[in-house]
Amino acid sequence: MIQLEVNDVSKQFGGLLAVNHVSFQVQGPELIGLIGPNGAGKTTLTNLLSGALKPSSGTIYMNGQRIDVLPPYKIAKVGLGRTFQVTRAFRRMTVLENLLVPALAMHPTARQAQFVKKAREVAEFLTIDHLLNEYARALSGGQQKLLELGRLLMLDPDFIILDEPFAGVHPRLMEIIYEYIIETNKQGKAFLIISHDMETIFTLSQRLLVMAFGKLIADGPPEEVKRDPAVIEAYLGSDSDKPWQPERKTPPAAGDRIAA
Amino acid sequence: MRGTMRRLKILTWVVGTSFLLILPWLIPTRMHVAVIALYYAILASSWALLAGYGGQFSFAHMAFAGLGAYTAGLIDKFIRLTTAPTYACTEFPLGSWWLVIQDTASPTCLEKAKATMPMGALIVKLPAWMDILMGVVVGGLFGLLIGALVLRLRRTYLALFTIAFAEILRTAINAERDITGGPGGLKLSPLFPNGVTLLGHEFTAADKLPPYLVMLGLFLLVMALMYWLAGSRFGLFIRAIREDEEAAGSLGVDVVRYKILLFTITAMIAAAAGGMYAHYVRVIAPNMMVIKEMSVVIAMAVIGGMESLLGAAIGAIIIEFALEQLRSNITIGAFTLNMADWRLVVFGALLMITLRFWGNGLIHPIIQRITRRGVAEETVAKRLQPRAATEPEDDTRVKIPASPLEPDP
Repeated sequence: MIQLEVNDVSKQFGGLLAVNHVSFQVQGPELIGLIGPNGAGKTTLTNLLSGALKPSSGTIYMNGQRIDVLPPYKIAKVGLGRTFQVTRAFRRMTVLENLLVPALAMHPTARQAQFVKKAREVAEFLTIDHLLNEYARALSGGQQKLLELGRLLMLDPDFIILDEPFAGVHPRLMEIIYEYIIETNKQGKAFLIISHDMETIFTLSQRLLVMAFGKLIADGPPEEVKRDPAVIEAYLGSDSDKPWQPERKTPPAAGDRIAA
Repeated sequence: MRGTMRRLKILTWVVGTSFLLILPWLIPTRMHVAVIALYYAILASSWALLAGYGGQFSFAHMAFAGLGAYTAGLIDKFIRLTTAPTYACTEFPLGSWWLVIQDTASPTCLEKAKATMPMGALIVKLPAWMDILMGVVVGGLFGLLIGALVLRLRRTYLALFTIAFAEILRTAINAERDITGGPGGLKLSPLFPNGVTLLGHEFTAADKLPPYLVMLGLFLLVMALMYWLAGSRFGLFIRAIREDEEAAGSLGVDVVRYKILLFTITAMIAAAAGGMYAHYVRVIAPNMMVIKEMSVVIAMAVIGGMESLLGAAIGAIIIEFALEQLRSNITIGAFTLNMADWRLVVFGALLMITLRFWGNGLIHPIIQRITRRGVAEETVAKRLQPRAATEPEDDTRVKIPASPLEPDP
C-alpha cells in the first residue's frame, strides 16, 4: 500500500519561509486536492516531494524509504511522478519519444521496441495517438498536458502529483484529464492535485489540503474544509462570517458523467 | 514507411562511403584538404552530439582535441620501448620489454645508455595507434572531470567555464616550453614512419593516401558509433536532458550520469581526432586550441545543422573545401582582394545569415525533409478518421493499459 509521510518539512529562500513546518500523511490510493491562494507554497511543496528542491528541515518518507535526500530520478524510481504547473513536454522530440523516455528510464535493460505498443495504447487513451510522430512543439497547450499525463502513465508511479492539470484546458480535454485521474485512481494510484479550479477540485477530491503563507491550515474532507474558519479567512479575509463557496468557473461535465 | 527509411539510410551510408573512398582519385592534388576536412568533420559532428543533441554548449572541444594531440606528441617524444634496461632513464618493466621515459631531467639518458646496453637490444617508439589510444584515454579522463565540474552550469555559464578551461590548457602548454615545446610546437613521427604497402602499391611516409584512408576509417567509425548512440536510449535521454533537465529527472533519467557520459564520450572522440591530426601534420602547436579554431568548428556544425550528426559532418567537409578554394585572390578592376584574409569574413557572413534565416542549419532541414516525409499527411489522415467508429459516446473508450510498464512478451 502507498505510504507517504511528510514530517515537519520547511523550505526557506533567504528571508522567505515558503513552506513552514508542513506535516501530513497519505495512506493508500487517496485522491487529495491541494489548494491555497497564490504564494501559499503549494508548488514549492510539490518540488520538495519530487526532489526538485531539498527541504531546509524535516523529512519525507515514501513506502518506508526516506526520499528527501534522493535525487529526482531516484524518487521517480521509488514511485513518485509529477507534472509541472507550466507544461514541460520535450518540445523537439516526437510524442512517441516523449512517451518512451520514462519507460526506458525505469527499465534500464529493456529494448526500446518493447514499449512502443504500450506508448500507442497510452496515446490512444489520451486521444493523441494520431500525433505520435509529430514533434511535441506542434501540439496545443492542452494536448501537451495530455502528453505529460501520458508520460506519467508510462512511468507508472504509485503517487502522482498534478500541478494545475486543468489550467487553460479546453472542456473536452478537461474531461479526458478528469477521466484519467478517476481511472488511474481506481487502479490503486494516489493523487495530489493542485488546482485553482475550485469547483473541479472539490468535486474530484476525497480529501483537501489547504495551504496559506507556507503553512498547512486545513486537512480533511472537502465539506469539512469548506467550513473551516482558517480557510474562510485565507480566502475571504478575517471580516467575513459567510461560509466559503468555491467559485464555479467551468461546468464539470466529465465529473457529472463519471459520477452518474 | 519504416522499411523505406531503413533502406534510405543504408543507401546514404553506401553512397557516402563510396564517394569518400573514390575521392582520392577525383581530387588527387587536394588530398591534404580532404584529410583536414575529415578531421573537422569528426570534430563538428561530435560537437553536434554534445551541443545539438545534448544541449551542452561547450567551447572546450578543441581543447580535448589538443589534449589528444599533445598526449600523442609527448608519448612520441619521451617514451620508448626497449628490450633491455637502460639503468640511466626512468623505466618500468613490461613483460620482456622496458618502458623508458626520457624525461626533461635526463633528456640524453637513452643516448648514454646505448653504450652500455647489450648488442642487439632494441629501442623503439610506440606505434602511432598506441599514442593516439593513450590520447583518447587522457581526453576521456579530462572529459569526465570537466563533465563533473559543469554539471550544474547551463548555457552562458557553461560556455564561459569551458572557454576558461580551453584557454588555461592552451596557456599552460604554451608556457611549458621544456616539455611541450611551447609556441614553437612539438614534432611527431608520421603515421607510417616506414611507409606502407596498399594493394601492391608502396607509399612513403609523406604520401597522403594512407593517412587519408586512416582518417576516413576513424570518421566512419566515429559516425557509426555516434549514430548508434543517438538512436539508443542514450540519445533519447540526452535529448530529453537538453529539452528540460528537471522534467527528465522527474521521469527517472539520471541526468548527472548521462551528462558526464556525454562529455566523456565526445571528449574521447575529439582527442582521437586530435591524435590522428597530430601524427598527420607532424608538428603541433598550442594555436590548434585557440578560440578561433573552436569557432570554426562551431560554425561548421551550425551551418550544417547542430541537431544532425550527418549535417554537421557534411557542413564541415563543404566549408573546409570552400575555405581552401577561397584562398585564390579575386581581382575586380583595379582592386585585388587578398582572399586568404577575406575568406573568413565570407565564412562569418554565411554563419550570420544561416543563424538569422535557417536556425537549424542548411543541411539538416534537407535531411529532415527526407526523413520526415509523409509524417504531416499521416497525422492529418489519422485525425480525419472518425474516432466515433472505435469510440462510442458512452464510457467505453479504451481503458488505461493495466500495467503500462511491463514490457511486451
